[in-house]
Amino acid sequence: MGSWARPFTVAVPDADIELLRKKLELATFPDELQGAGWDYGAPLADIKRLTTYWKDSFDWRKSEKAINELPQFTTDIEVDGFGSLNIHFVHQKSKVENAIPLLFVHGWPGHFLEVRKLLPILTSESPDHPSFHVVAPSLPGFGFSEAPNKPGFGGFQYAEVVNKLMLSLGYDEYVYQGGDLGHVVGVYATNAYGNKHIKAWHTNMPFYRAPTLFSNPLLFLEMLTTPFNTRMQEQFAAAKRFRTKGMGYFVLQATKPQTLGYSLADSPVGLLAWIYEKLHKAVDKYPWTENEVLEWISVYWFSRAGPAAPQHMYYGLTHGNEHDLFEGTRWTSTPLGVGFFPGEPVRLPKSWVHMIGKVLFESEHDAGGHFAAFEQPARLAGDLQKMFGKGGPVYGIVPGKDGYV
Amino acid sequence: MAETTEKPFTLSVPDADIELLHKKLELARFPDELEGAGWDYGAPLADIKRLVAHWKQGFDWRKAEAEINKLPMFTRDIEVEGHGKLNIHYVHQKSEVKDAIPLLFVHGWPGDFLEVRKLLPLLTAKSSDNPSFHVVAISLPGFGFSEAPKKPGFAGRQYAEVLNNLMLSLGYNEYVYQGGDWGHIVGMHTVHHFGHKHIKAWHSNMPLSSRRPTLLTHPLILINTVFATTFDKSAREGIAKTLKFVQKGRGYFMEQATKPQTLGYSLEDSPVGLLAWIYEKLVGWTDSYPWTDDEVLEWISIYWFSRSGPAAAGRIYYEMTRGNSSEIFAGAQWSSVPLGVSYFPGELGRMPKSWSHLLGKLVFESEHDKGGHFAAFEQPEKLAGDLRKMYGKGGPAHGVVPGKNGYD
Repeated sequence: MGSWARPFTVAVPDADIELLRKKLELATFPDELQGAGWDYGAPLADIKRLTTYWKDSFDWRKSEKAINELPQFTTDIEVDGFGSLNIHFVHQKSKVENAIPLLFVHGWPGHFLEVRKLLPILTSESPDHPSFHVVAPSLPGFGFSEAPNKPGFGGFQYAEVVNKLMLSLGYDEYVYQGGDLGHVVGVYATNAYGNKHIKAWHTNMPFYRAPTLFSNPLLFLEMLTTPFNTRMQEQFAAAKRFRTKGMGYFVLQATKPQTLGYSLADSPVGLLAWIYEKLHKAVDKYPWTENEVLEWISVYWFSRAGPAAPQHMYYGLTHGNEHDLFEGTRWTSTPLGVGFFPGEPVRLPKSWVHMIGKVLFESEHDAGGHFAAFEQPARLAGDLQKMFGKGGPVYGIVPGKDGYV
Repeated sequence: MAETTEKPFTLSVPDADIELLHKKLELARFPDELEGAGWDYGAPLADIKRLVAHWKQGFDWRKAEAEINKLPMFTRDIEVEGHGKLNIHYVHQKSEVKDAIPLLFVHGWPGDFLEVRKLLPLLTAKSSDNPSFHVVAISLPGFGFSEAPKKPGFAGRQYAEVLNNLMLSLGYNEYVYQGGDWGHIVGMHTVHHFGHKHIKAWHSNMPLSSRRPTLLTHPLILINTVFATTFDKSAREGIAKTLKFVQKGRGYFMEQATKPQTLGYSLEDSPVGLLAWIYEKLVGWTDSYPWTDDEVLEWISIYWFSRSGPAAAGRIYYEMTRGNSSEIFAGAQWSSVPLGVSYFPGELGRMPKSWSHLLGKLVFESEHDKGGHFAAFEQPEKLAGDLRKMYGKGGPAHGVVPGKNGYD
């Protein structure tokens, strides 16, 4: 099952901070086409400004101290065929004893800190809404978790890790929240452990395969009306834009993550640009401060397995781009809640959410993007509170833990 | 004689640049690697570590530079409509045969002008048995020691202009063309704009395009394709290889065609990152070429020390696809300018041979049993041999350039 969890403190060695500073001192920049804006990628002025800030003003130790106020732990999780992986996680319990155990799973280029703003809201006690015990791991290869060291670590392996983590903490039945690759892992996890361990789940990036005539004839027929259906066209246009313009990173990471990794491990400026481009593009007018951006990038730079490791997850999930992200999964009857955020770049026709699972809750927001938990924590927490609260569609779904005193 | 901006060019990387490179290499930080990864995930860690160690201590850039400077190199300003003047770097090696055929050699990515190096003695040699060539090998804008475009929109027409204007400025009003990779692709555009009038014939070692035969446009080629894929094992294998490239090998293309600037920060700041980015292609795209570490590092150094920096080169993917929203051959129609093609087994992919007719008026075909994407570098004798056959006495393109048939 797993050994006992040990408390964890982030403590980046002085030598690592010094190496970063030395590299930033030697930073060299490309030029830029006139009037490029964001068309060709992250703008030069932004990257120069952020690099200067990182070098001269950003205080990692201050960030580290604040991060260490979160209750963090590590524990060994055995994965069939892969041995033991030491997994890092945040575990914040509510004062409400029968709070609902909730597993929060980040994606790429996200990390465990995306849970930070949700914690006080979700764990707070109130007669008006349910409370949660929150577990937020660093996925294998991300943050302060070990990375798999053998090929073949795929969707079901990531699901196995997070499920075993919850079981090791005594949460035999729990609920799940995820977006980005956290959503993808959610699909695998509900396929493998739905209803038995995962009693319900919520996604803020409802994405899945297209319907086929056999999988869902009604949705398939609706899709065929697209040439005549403006609403459908609009919904596809966003997907087409993303596929044409926004998927370079995906194809590269799904096929040659090692080649890319040399750059990201060696160049803090390269890593900064690689991730910052997504932080800027995928949010809904979020007013990033330099400090927020650099703290985010620093978690990648100082991560346990190094900045090259996380991208291997794309290879693992698609077996080197040989199939889509959801190979081997199907629709499950585990109750599903969906949060639609207007700035989410990965979107498909809303009716397609029924392809994923048994949708019992839908919520349309007017603000927020891809990093919903970070950008709009109150809205995302609100979804969970409504979904699991008294009068909600999955109230009391975890036996004996309805979230109230 | 009209005033010329041509200046002889000597490569001379400043000491400070070499010192900075070494400072960065000293601070190199490497990723881990999965057990038994091999080449599955990209360039192997042991290779990159070994090359970095040699780059730090062993590889002699000044020695390589001195060798490169033995080539007759020049720069001159070339006007491109809407983009002003670009200072263009090129090799210009004349044959002692007065009526040698003027030939423009165009590299691709991640190639460079030095890919012509092994061809030069073969093509310019005087012989009663083979035609001779005056060879011009350009550094494409943004590559090697040519200036890069400063504005967006430098695409097919613009590349065609810079190439053609260079040859005209050298007094070659009529000439022939050879290219692979982007050299092939911009070749399609250059032949479209300046074929017959200036380009009398051309040759490609990467005969690919996005055209395909349909029942309406090319019924015979379509029927031939059906037969080829049914009965011809080599044709089926070629298509399978192409599909595998599309599935597994196009990450670099997608990224450079959409976010070359984002990628560029890594390539500009990390010599290790640049090394891995290019080395993966140098090995993956060649046919068991026995790379020495010095050869690899010289190649990477051209990118590292390039005039516009290593990030600029990747922009060609964005410009030629308009940010991945149009295809690279858009605007380059089929031309009746005589075309020769060479098939090398290690090329990234291949379509049925009959599809070469979709590229242009096919007058010459040659199939090899060895060699890959960087044909001029890997198999210079074979490639030069093809050009000799194509343009030599009795060849299908003999005498295409009036008054310059390659013989005295």
